[in-house]
Amino acid sequence: MTLLDFARGPALQWSLIILVVGVMWRFTGTILLGRKEDLSKPRRNTEIRDGLATIFRRSLPEHQFEKKIRFQHAAGYTWHLALFIAVLFSAPHILFFESVLGFGWPHLPNGIILVTAAIALALLLALLIRRLSHPVQRLISNADDYISVVIVIIPLVTGILASAHIGARYETLLAIHFLSVEALFVWFPFGKLMHTALTFPARFRAGAEFGRRGVKA
Amino acid sequence: MNIDNAAFRDFRESLEHLGSDTPSEILSGEEQVRRAKQTFMDKLDGPMAVDLTTCVHCGMCAEACHYYEATQDEKYAPVRKFEPLRRFYRRELSPMRWLFRPFIRDVTAQDLEAWQELVYDACTGCGRCDMMCPMGVRLSPLINVMRQGLASAGLVPAELRALQIEQRDNDTVFGVGAGKLREVIDRLKQQGIEVPLDKSRAEVLILTTAVEVLLFSAALSATAKIMNRLDADWTISSQGFEAANLGLLSGDEATQRQAAARIVEQAKTCGAKTVILPESGHAYQAMRWEGANELGEALPFEVLAISEFIARELDAGRLPLSTATNGSSVTYHDPCRLGRHSGVIEQPRQVLKALGMEFREADSNGRENYCCGGGCAEYVIKRSAPLRQKAFEIKKREFDETGADVVVTSCANCRINLMIGAENGGWQTPIESLVERVAASLTE
Repeated sequence: MTLLDFARGPALQWSLIILVVGVMWRFTGTILLGRKEDLSKPRRNTEIRDGLATIFRRSLPEHQFEKKIRFQHAAGYTWHLALFIAVLFSAPHILFFESVLGFGWPHLPNGIILVTAAIALALLLALLIRRLSHPVQRLISNADDYISVVIVIIPLVTGILASAHIGARYETLLAIHFLSVEALFVWFPFGKLMHTALTFPARFRAGAEFGRRGVKA
Repeated sequence: MNIDNAAFRDFRESLEHLGSDTPSEILSGEEQVRRAKQTFMDKLDGPMAVDLTTCVHCGMCAEACHYYEATQDEKYAPVRKFEPLRRFYRRELSPMRWLFRPFIRDVTAQDLEAWQELVYDACTGCGRCDMMCPMGVRLSPLINVMRQGLASAGLVPAELRALQIEQRDNDTVFGVGAGKLREVIDRLKQQGIEVPLDKSRAEVLILTTAVEVLLFSAALSATAKIMNRLDADWTISSQGFEAANLGLLSGDEATQRQAAARIVEQAKTCGAKTVILPESGHAYQAMRWEGANELGEALPFEVLAISEFIARELDAGRLPLSTATNGSSVTYHDPCRLGRHSGVIEQPRQVLKALGMEFREADSNGRENYCCGGGCAEYVIKRSAPLRQKAFEIKKREFDETGADVVVTSCANCRINLMIGAENGGWQTPIESLVERVAASLTE
């Protein structure tokens, strides 16, 4: 079995199992902690509407805060968006998804994918530097914060190298790219990447709780 | 300003000695940790677990905190203030605890002592960070659990603890009991203001606070004038008039429950359909939102803040007011627990506009308003005075930018803290009470 066979075979299968089982375990274990019924009389009964509104509203900073968090906010959303474009619209990725799902979709030119991946990488590095240098972020950061950034950066780097055929044989680069993505899958349920699954529930709850008190959150 | 300056000086003087003779609770470090962790275990629920898991340590919450803004000291980042709770959750409650435990340091007595300053001196529970978090994390409930954990570990600062013990053991605050209330009511009666005390039956139960009795009796007088002008069937109970809840402020839940139960009992006794809270943000939160949950049953009456009651009466056309204000301008300071935490935001503005004053909004207002800097009874903690003064400078700057002639608020604690800040900084703009302004504008 070659390294690429291993990466595309058992490593992929096991990492996906860990990802799915781990996320389900942590998600349900967190949610199932439950909560007491709120016996206070709500100011208005629009909790679902308020919760859904907050899911969308929190994507935009408020007037009071916008001027203070402009870089982090813009950089945060941009790198996420760039990553999704690179993952979902790269031709080799779509071929892979097609082999698994049975259907594909149109891809973007390789040059655009390389640029978006480079943007995501540059912003992640900038945010990592900020985390290392900004007094607040440096103080509150733990190993998870650094591991999670690095584990997202590595697939981007290996993907760019594989796509541009730089540094080694294509098969080797592809195998390393697969393995780096699988490392991300394995880490995902254990670290703060879990925010992906829990951000919307958290926003919904904030919106619903403030909403029942008559406050837009 | 309707305040007796000598009384205010005496009050400030009394704060200097508050807690000096309060016996501290001597617990071993092991017992402190055991108690705090038990409280953490009891209080953490699903939504808090979601929040603790969702936080990505972006640190943006710091930009919402008035203490961070005032000092730029990273330790005041709100997310930092519940770090021991986060560690506890990950080690002992998270579904991944079996894996996390060896890698995460346990909570120690030293941690609890170190966090006392962050939780009590440098957080007023204002909830501004709740509005900032891009992930939707509600930080203030998590910091409140920290507060409750420290309280159970006997780590409430001495001044706050003195007040909490006083309310728990004597049902008084700042020494104000039924006797002092009667003295004020008798004085008001001599001025021709009738305050129906201890009526056996009444539609409306009015609450007041020790601070109103001691310092702001004009606010109590104003409330009485308004209720009498409305010809309302109302009373004050000498056995349950205190709206302040030192249990909520200190994190001692037993005291919080006891204080809430006392009010509910009096309301039930007189058959009140409505309980009106005085100008106090935390008192409103304690009764309106937490009362039912503390007592385990829905409240058998409606709970209103005096400002929302006045707005409702104005809206119904039952409260005729003079709009002769000589063209003066006003800005409003939103008490955090009345505004952001409770939705009483438009009502006080509606009232001020009805008074005919030119209303000028500060840059931060309503749900994004900055705390006065001394909420959650922090103004009683002596060692945090320099920090509070720095936070007050933010308010002062924003008030000055409006150019308003008067600052009005609807919380006695905010008023005290703003007055202390103004006095220390030589700031002259009057800081007034909403209810007093309304009573002064009542027409025949």
